[in-house]
Amino acid sequence: MDMAALLNWMIFLPLIGGVLCLAVASRQAARQVALWTSIATFVLSVILAAGYYGQGYAGVQFVTQLRWIDSINVEYRTGVDGLSLPLVLLTTALSVLVVIASWDIQKAAKAYLALYLFLMTGMLGVFLALDLFLFYVFFEVSLLPMYFLIGVWGGPRKEYAAIKFFLYTLFGSICLLVVMLGIYFFTPEAAAGGASGGGQNTWDMIRLQTDPAIGALFARGGPHWGFAKLAFWLTLIAFLVKLPGVPFHTWLPDAHVEAPTPISMILAGVLLKMGGYAMMRITWPFFPDAAILFWKCAAGLGVISIVYGAFCAMAQADWKKLVAYSSVSHMGYVLLGLAVLTRAGFDGAYYQMIAHGITSAMMFFLVGVVYDRAHHRQIDRLGGLWLKWPAYSGWAAVGFFAAMGLPGLCGFVGEVMVLLGTFQAVGNPGFPTALVYTYGVLAASGVILTAGYILWMFQRVYMGPQRAEYAGYEPVKGREYFIMVTLGLAALVFGVVPYLVFVMTNPTFDGIMKIISVAVPAAQTALGG
Amino acid sequence: MTLQPAILIPWLPALSAGLCGLCCVRKSWRRLAAPLTIGAIFASFLLAVLVSPAVKPFDPAEPDLAPHVVTLFSWIHVGDFRVDMAYFLDPLTLLMLMVVCGVGTLVAVYAAGYMAGDRGYARFFAGVSLFIFAMTTLVMADNLVLLYLGWEGVGLCSYLLIGFYYQKPSAVAAAKKAFIVNRIGDLGFALGIFLIYSTFHTVSLAEVLSLAHHVEEPTTAHLWIPFLLMLGAFGKSAQIPLYVWLPDAMEGPTPVSALIHAATMVTAGVYMIARLLPVFELSPYALPTVAIVGAVTALFAATIALCQYDLKRIYAYSTISQLGYMFLGVGVLSTVGGMFHLFTHAFFKALLFLTAGSVMHALAGQLDLRKISGLRTRMPITCLLMLFGCLALAGFPFTAGFFSKDLILADVLVRGLSLHQPLYTTLAVVGLVTAFLTAFYTFRLWFRVFLGPTRYELGDEHHAADGAHAAGHAADAHDIKIEHVHDAHEMPWLMNAPLVVLAVGALFAGLFCKSWLAGLVTQSSAAAAAAHSLHAHATLCGYDPHLAMEFISSAVAVLGIAAAAYFHWLNRPAADSVAARYRGLVSLLNHKYYVDEIYDALIVRPLRALGGLCFVLDRLIVEGLVALVGFLPRLLGLGLQPTQQGALQGYGLGMAAGIAILALLIALALGT
Repeated sequence: MDMAALLNWMIFLPLIGGVLCLAVASRQAARQVALWTSIATFVLSVILAAGYYGQGYAGVQFVTQLRWIDSINVEYRTGVDGLSLPLVLLTTALSVLVVIASWDIQKAAKAYLALYLFLMTGMLGVFLALDLFLFYVFFEVSLLPMYFLIGVWGGPRKEYAAIKFFLYTLFGSICLLVVMLGIYFFTPEAAAGGASGGGQNTWDMIRLQTDPAIGALFARGGPHWGFAKLAFWLTLIAFLVKLPGVPFHTWLPDAHVEAPTPISMILAGVLLKMGGYAMMRITWPFFPDAAILFWKCAAGLGVISIVYGAFCAMAQADWKKLVAYSSVSHMGYVLLGLAVLTRAGFDGAYYQMIAHGITSAMMFFLVGVVYDRAHHRQIDRLGGLWLKWPAYSGWAAVGFFAAMGLPGLCGFVGEVMVLLGTFQAVGNPGFPTALVYTYGVLAASGVILTAGYILWMFQRVYMGPQRAEYAGYEPVKGREYFIMVTLGLAALVFGVVPYLVFVMTNPTFDGIMKIISVAVPAAQTALGG
Repeated sequence: MTLQPAILIPWLPALSAGLCGLCCVRKSWRRLAAPLTIGAIFASFLLAVLVSPAVKPFDPAEPDLAPHVVTLFSWIHVGDFRVDMAYFLDPLTLLMLMVVCGVGTLVAVYAAGYMAGDRGYARFFAGVSLFIFAMTTLVMADNLVLLYLGWEGVGLCSYLLIGFYYQKPSAVAAAKKAFIVNRIGDLGFALGIFLIYSTFHTVSLAEVLSLAHHVEEPTTAHLWIPFLLMLGAFGKSAQIPLYVWLPDAMEGPTPVSALIHAATMVTAGVYMIARLLPVFELSPYALPTVAIVGAVTALFAATIALCQYDLKRIYAYSTISQLGYMFLGVGVLSTVGGMFHLFTHAFFKALLFLTAGSVMHALAGQLDLRKISGLRTRMPITCLLMLFGCLALAGFPFTAGFFSKDLILADVLVRGLSLHQPLYTTLAVVGLVTAFLTAFYTFRLWFRVFLGPTRYELGDEHHAADGAHAAGHAADAHDIKIEHVHDAHEMPWLMNAPLVVLAVGALFAGLFCKSWLAGLVTQSSAAAAAAHSLHAHATLCGYDPHLAMEFISSAVAVLGIAAAAYFHWLNRPAADSVAARYRGLVSLLNHKYYVDEIYDALIVRPLRALGGLCFVLDRLIVEGLVALVGFLPRLLGLGLQPTQQGALQGYGLGMAAGIAILALLIALALGT
């Protein structure tokens, strides 16, 4: 089978599996279908990665290009490159674990699993779409199943949380739509130069990044510079909602607290990454000059997210909310790393997404294991879990320490590279030294706050004397250990051998950095003049 | 012989840590953990000895990477940013490796006996193995990011092992405190590394040293680097203002206190400054600051140690104080002195902690000096071993501690005299006062514990671990094996044998290792300064300062011991009456100058309050704005609701009005 077809199979296999889930007779059968669908999807992604891995591919590979809506030039265009492949692998691998974690869902299990598999198609589509319109479609498709998964299977305030999640994301989508329309109507002008494209409207995301004629439209001083500035902000807001970045984050604690454990895992593990991915795919490469102009604001929002999220996490009495706010803090590094426009920062931001995908999923799962038995998440009512379940607590330590950014575990690599990247920006034109240092110091001080809230939580939940009510708790199941051990080992492996990811991303990122760094002299002349 | 086998030095203990982790799974496997750990650490020690002929001297002025670096694999490599899992070996590394793995082996052997019967036996050794992995990585790191990995890694192991008795709230709180205070220092260290990267564009150790060595005119960034790095050193090595975690860290099992919180990890800061000496010379104020902080900490901690009653806490404050000496040493460019004291201190402080552990073990967890007396008859070997340790700590002539402390003080004095800087002369005096106090509090402890009438109270824990388990985990009570009689008793030879080795070191390491050690240090990056450090041009009252210092410090040590003998052996009531007369001072010292309380009020509480404030802000302001935005459409809806009254006439009227307005608009538009 050729790789391009395989890639499309991978996107739509969960959709087929989802329909099948609804069709089969029993819950148990639906679970089997969901499990094997997710495993098959994972296998396909591994085959895809094997075909890509170590080949040194820079551009997009395994492209499918089909005409779809001719009248507005929309194409069905998919393909994979170094920016999407690791996130695709994260998605498919995490999906298998999420299906396993969902095994005990009793309420309308068939519908739940079907919706979950639809969500998978949406997520994979977002990462693999290369047509802006198609991307938008998948971006929206991933929204609906999530709405229902929270709104139907969630906790006491599920309706509120679901509608909040929905409205926030929809707000972001509308911002994105405005930019898409602008791009659509402005791109034909690029053909005036006659370089490529023949005067047509285009949605081709790769061309939008790399075509210098299009780039010139949105460059500083170009004919649509004003639009580019606006579009940078609109797309940034659209994706900040997903990321989530302060001040667009308040949907997240509610959504996480209400969502069932497996949905929290996929929400934090993959859906937030769609925001970061889209920034790297759209916001920054489409409007590099605007990114330089507004780097202070973008980086500032990142730093605020880091520190503010950490402080909020420290104040939580609800364990799951603490983990939710830690996501705000950790994803702030992604924004900061991107905004400083250095190679180490960009790679660090990307690696932080992979690492956070592993650790946040693990943390939510660890909370879920206890919640399933205790039926509450009040940190002060827990304690001494280590005595009850030493093995579980050992893996919990791995998960939480990885999230804390301990060297040797995956969280460290992303954080340290973002910080190094921030300091690397010193001396670049348009980057005042004092400001860069301020951002760097504030972001770095986030590590103390992180250690503070995680260790304080760890002390109150796991250590100390055991509580009497634990006696009735059922032991941690083998299935649960499987999930914890898998994620824990992943945290370890990606902390020690980050090269596994960088070997895929390096050639692609070289290309992206060229787009961004080409813009640096332009800003230099503009600022100098 | 090549350097290649050195790769295994960190990874053998790492492997052992993994295997010990597996040993946790089954009860019958637990006992395997100790031999695994001992074997792995000892193998690392042998490997360090084995590669030592291949280790070449390193000179930052003419750095030649090839003979020093062995690369395991590429860790992070993006664009032109590259960090490898690579190891850098020069004589200084070698010295540290021998201390870490040597003391590590001895402590592991002791712990095999000490921890026997504990539920967490395998977990303990997994932690120790992991610690050796992190510590060897720290000292062998070829770049600053890897060094930071080791640096944080030892912090983690310290956290895990201080909190080893995790059912004890005080142990857990101490573990958290240690980690967070260390992280504050680490923040400085990390920022220092970032600043190095942004100024030198590399994190490779050899390149940084060489570049720093050749800096002609330091910029502002250059001046900041050493101060940031210093903060990391002060955190890890428990100096003012970040020393508060170390006394609390004594909640961990005693072998941990000996290995991590006395002999090895806490010296990482001293090692780091010695290692990065050319970087610290970038700012003319950096090393003097180190020296002043070291001397002040030495004196400060020694005064606190005078009035503590907990055996291990006295040693903890003494460790802080001795680390202060080491900082004083490197701060006056006496890197040989600093490293020498690090080396001898590893022997005698490990010995002191382990013998204190023996006392604690024998007395069922009793550590209160007021409740122990005259143990010499019950534990004669321990008594003797601890005496050797105390002599070395007190700087009694010809013991190891005497030579190393003396070298530091003499170098300080020489610097003061030959540069005519009263600062250094003052520091030398501070050092001497501290030496007197050290001799006094050390022998206060020894005389109290071993001499005088034999009288003691047993602690409430059969064995610290088992007692805590019994209290916290009644369900597993069958798990506790009562192996020891509940009375003071001598330790088995498995535990005493490593102590004998340490005692030999504590007595003779000073006499016989000085020139070997000086050779190692001067052939490493720490020597860059030693080369142009001062030679004794000055005299003290006509005598060579080094020689004079030997006599002065001998006298000080003997005086201190004599004073302690009077107050705590021969005439104990006198001590009580003196204490009663200066009750305020004693209370102040006993409460450690209330520093913990001050930090709590000034830092911990405000930060937590800020967290609460942020959350309130999040809920009220950010959420409030969102709710407002959400409310507007509803308000609009409310405003329009009355128009939907359901009467056909009303709608008809509305429609007609709408059409009229539209028609008007069109007419206007066409008309213009």
